[in-house]
Order: sequence, then C-alpha cells, then structure tokens
Amino acid sequence: MSKYIFKRLLIVIPTMLAVILIVFLLMNLTPSDPASVILGPNATQEAKDKLNQEFGYDKPVLVRYFDYVVNLVQGDMGTTYTTSRSVFTEVTMRFPTTLKLAAIGITLAVVLGVPLGIVAAVKQYSIFDIIGTATSMFMASVPGFWLGLMLILLFALKLGILPSYGNATWVHYILPSVTLALPVAASILRMTRTTMLESIRQDFVRTARAKGQIERKVIFKHALHNALLPVVTVAGTEFGFLLGGAVVIEQVFSINGVGKLLLEGIRMKDVPLVTGCAVFICFLFMIVMLLVDILYAYIDPRIRDRYTRA
Amino acid sequence: MAELTQTQELRENQDVLLEINNLTVVYKSDEEIVHAVNGISFQVGVKETIGLVGETGAGKTTTALSIMRLLPERTGFIEGGEILYNGMDLVTKPQNEMRMIRGSLISMIFQDPMTSLNPIMTVGDQIYESLEIHNTDNKTRQQLDERVNELLTLVGIQPRRKKEFPHQFSGGMKQRIVIAIALACEPQLLIADEPTTALDVTIQAQVLDLMRELKEKLDTSMIMITHDLGVVAETCDKVAIMYAGEIVERGSVEDIFEGKQHHPYTEGLFGAIPNLEEETDRLSPIDGLMPNPTDLPSGCKFHPRCKYCMDICREQVPPVYLEDGHMIACHLVVKED
Repeated sequence: MSKYIFKRLLIVIPTMLAVILIVFLLMNLTPSDPASVILGPNATQEAKDKLNQEFGYDKPVLVRYFDYVVNLVQGDMGTTYTTSRSVFTEVTMRFPTTLKLAAIGITLAVVLGVPLGIVAAVKQYSIFDIIGTATSMFMASVPGFWLGLMLILLFALKLGILPSYGNATWVHYILPSVTLALPVAASILRMTRTTMLESIRQDFVRTARAKGQIERKVIFKHALHNALLPVVTVAGTEFGFLLGGAVVIEQVFSINGVGKLLLEGIRMKDVPLVTGCAVFICFLFMIVMLLVDILYAYIDPRIRDRYTRA
Repeated sequence: MAELTQTQELRENQDVLLEINNLTVVYKSDEEIVHAVNGISFQVGVKETIGLVGETGAGKTTTALSIMRLLPERTGFIEGGEILYNGMDLVTKPQNEMRMIRGSLISMIFQDPMTSLNPIMTVGDQIYESLEIHNTDNKTRQQLDERVNELLTLVGIQPRRKKEFPHQFSGGMKQRIVIAIALACEPQLLIADEPTTALDVTIQAQVLDLMRELKEKLDTSMIMITHDLGVVAETCDKVAIMYAGEIVERGSVEDIFEGKQHHPYTEGLFGAIPNLEEETDRLSPIDGLMPNPTDLPSGCKFHPRCKYCMDICREQVPPVYLEDGHMIACHLVVKED
C-alpha cells in the first residue's frame, strides 16, 4: 500500500512540469506583455523594455520556463510582477478562504445529494424520485453565476437577510457555498441514484433479504456500501475543482480566494502569479485524487488487493 | 377430486411441511401482464426433496421467490392460491413476520455464487449476519463466532479463512459459503435454485454431495430447482415437471424415470439427453420454443409443440390423470385410459 502511495506521489512531478509548461506557453500566446499592462498605454517603449527586462520577461519563453522550474525545485515560487510580493505568500494568504468555501460547499453537497439520491433510487418512480431527478437536472444545467445572482437577488436584495459580498463572517459564506453546493449536490444525487438502482438489483441484496435482514440494513449495509465508489469519485473530483478556487463564484460574491487571485493574475499578465496558482491548484487536486484512491481501497477489498499486489 | 385423494394420502403417510395449492403469480408492467405461474399445486413432506424441473422461463424461480415472498415489489404479484407452511398461509403474512421466517425456517440458495455474496463483506461476517438476525435466544458474540467456525467446517472450508472476502474464493467454495449461510439457522425447508448450474461439472458433483449430506444431517426438506435431470435423479424423492407456469407431470423419481406413461413434454425432455449406450447421430430436442407468457395458447399450453396434438388439445385444458401419486395433465393419457 505504501509502495502504491509512493508511486502515485512520484507521478506528481512530471504532471507538474507539464502543467507549468502549458501555463507558460498559453501566457506567451496571449498578446501584450506585463510592462505594458502595468505602466499603461501612455508609457514609453523604453520604460516598458526596462521593466520587462527587470522581470526577466525579455528572455525566450523556454528559458523562462527552465529558470522557473529550477527556482521552484529550490522552493522559490518567485515574486509577483504587480505587487512584488512573494507568490507563495499571496497564494497561501488567499487559500484559507477558498478552503473554507470548498469544504462547506462539498459537505453541503454530500449531505443533500447522497440521501436524496438514495430515496430517489429506493422509491423509484415515486414523487420523491421525480422531483429529485427533475430538480437535479435543473441544478446541473444552470450556470453558477446566474444561480449566484438569483440567490443574491432573493436573499440579499428582496429579503435582506444575508450579505451579498465579502467574507468577513460565517454568514457571508452561506450564499456562495450554497451556490457552489447546489450543482455539485445535483451531480452527486444523480450518481447516487444511478449506482443505487444498480446496486439494489444485485443478487447479494436479494441474499441479504433472504437471510431475513430488515429493509433498512439491506439498503444501507449492503446496497449503499457497494454503491459508494462512483459517488466518492464524483465528490472527490468536485472537491478538487472547488479547491482550485471557484473562479466565477468568487467573482460574483467578491470573495478574495485563490480563484479571484488567479483571475487578477491573468488580467495583469502576471506570469509568476498565474503559474504559482496553477502549481498550487494542480498539487492540491492530485493530493485529493490520491486520497480518493486510498478511500477506494478502504471501501472495497478487491481494490485493496490490487494495490498491494501492484 | 383426484387432487384431494393425493393430499389425504400424503397426510396419512407423511407429515406435510409445505403445501402449495393453486398458486398463481403474474408480473405486471405498464404494457403487459406476464403469466409466470398458473395454478400449480404440490406438497413437500418433512425430510423430503422435491425437484422442480423445466426450461428457463417455466416459472420455477418465480415459484421459489413466491414461497420466500421475495418477488420484485413493484411488478411481481401472487394473484391467487395459498402457500401453507406447517398449516399457516405465507401468502397473507405481513412482511415483518415473513422476515422472521426467511433465513430461519425457510432458506434459499441462489443460482450464481459469483454474485450472490456481498463483495465487500468478509465471508465470516456474512454468515454471522444470518445468525445475528435470528439470534432469538441471545447468544453472545463469542458463541455466534464459534457457530460461524462450525458452519465453515461443516461445508469444508477452514475457519481461519473467515476473514477473507468472496473474491478470494473459487466458484465452488463460494457456493459452499452460500450453503453455510442458508443452513446457518438450521432451516426446515431449503430452496435450492439451480445451485450447481454456474459451476464446473466436477465441482457440481462435490456441491451436490455436500448438500445431500447436510440435508441428511439436519433433517431438512428441500425444493431442488433445476433443468438437469441428472441432478434430479441423484438428489430428489419426488419430481414436478413444469411447463409454461404449470405442472404437467408430477410423481416419485421412479414414476418419472421408469414409469410407463408420461406427459409428451417429459418424453421430450428425456429425448434431449445424450445416451451413453445407444449410438445416435443427433439428439432429439423438442421442436419450437416455450410460448410467450404474455400470450399463452388456449387449451393445453404444450399443444403447439406436441407431436401427439389432437383437436381437443387446442380447445380444452387437459384433465388430471392420477395413479398412485403419479400425476399427468394430458388428454392423451386420459383417452388411453
């Protein structure tokens, strides 16, 4: 098992190198340069060149990429172009906000999605199933920013019971985390329903009933436990995405998270900042995925066997 | 009238454990009604093994699931008849009382051991679960654990393997575990739904031997569902041949294998078995297919495939011919009489 985890951690290195390369190439493809953005349209070419040279932006993209990787290995994520602060500090300063948002969001989504999914499957074709499935379809297709704006309209403007922006107190987290959670809850609901429907038709569930087991235990102990893997995958992946900063939602609710930072970086052509965010997000995502895989092994002994044999 | 005499006869000779009278089961969906079991009757005596034989779709498994009351909730319905277990009707029993009967008094072994065990529970826990549900005399955890070891030994698996998961066992071993689960509470009636169909021939023999041995040891009655006449010859006391949801012939193993008169369908089944002594180029299967259960033929349900089919067969449901407990439902036999 530990061998498997070690192998998985090794894969992080090439993935990271590829991600950084892609970020550098993409940033290079976009027009303009950092100095022009920072100094504005009225600056002289001379001043711009000088500033770009200071940033090291005058060098070819692959050279900059190589320099960046060498620095990163030494633990240096560089300084931002715009604020001249350490990228590491910028990102870690914003991260707790994003983490809080993601954690509340995913918890809400699981708490809503899994039980409703179970009910929809166990009472298939009932009113619970129809309402659940229809609502989840709607939630999954609605764009996050629209949902966020509608919630602001209702709860902040009309009812005036919740704040519409910022992240000063826990009350500020309600609207954004609900906005994040609803679409995720919808996909968790649909996944739970599908896998539960499959699971409750399995022979071993019938065996459990033939033993005389009570229906509640048949559903939770036998059917649900076997239906969990895909649900864990969806929840894990979604959590990974949320950790990457809900770029749009943070924008809508003016929350200073990693997502908003990333967006500012892109607008300012702040290559070290954008790359720093990307490295950070990518690393977290891969750690979450690794945790999901370890959770698999915990849930399913067949997978546990495969890991130990590999 | 004939039915009645047989029942009386049986009651005098032997105690009846299970008596099914005129059982009718349908599967309903929005589009159609499937007539799976159409008014069958048979009895199982104490310590007796009865074989239910027939092609796929003859209604054997449906009969078994009806006895267990495990028909699919939304689609399967018992439309009529009674299932008397020790005199009490299981058809009208509420589910919570039925739950106490399942696994303790009546157990079932399912067809496919690969899928009938929970893949993420240790086999020991799965046997333990069965004991725990029906632990009416408050045995301690330790006592139940010992019983698990005992059961595993009984079916020929080393108790130290109880911490392993189903995927670590072979098919035959898994079926042994399924048997251990079914026998955990020493049921009076064991329903075995094609217990050896999914297994290799050599393993089949082992599992059948084991079942027979345990049945003797525990004095269990058994309903053996199969389409394999070899299995019937080896394990059963009585046989009921099912076709399109009806019992077309019923009798002792001797009646079915050596009797002079048979239902044409039974004849057809035997004709489809390869014979080691006679040299024949081809087997003689029964022509045609089982009728569509949503649209059964009139009269005798076998008439479209019967080589002795007469006019009367198309119009009238055949009467029951009964001699010394050997029952045949066919116009032909009655006519010859």
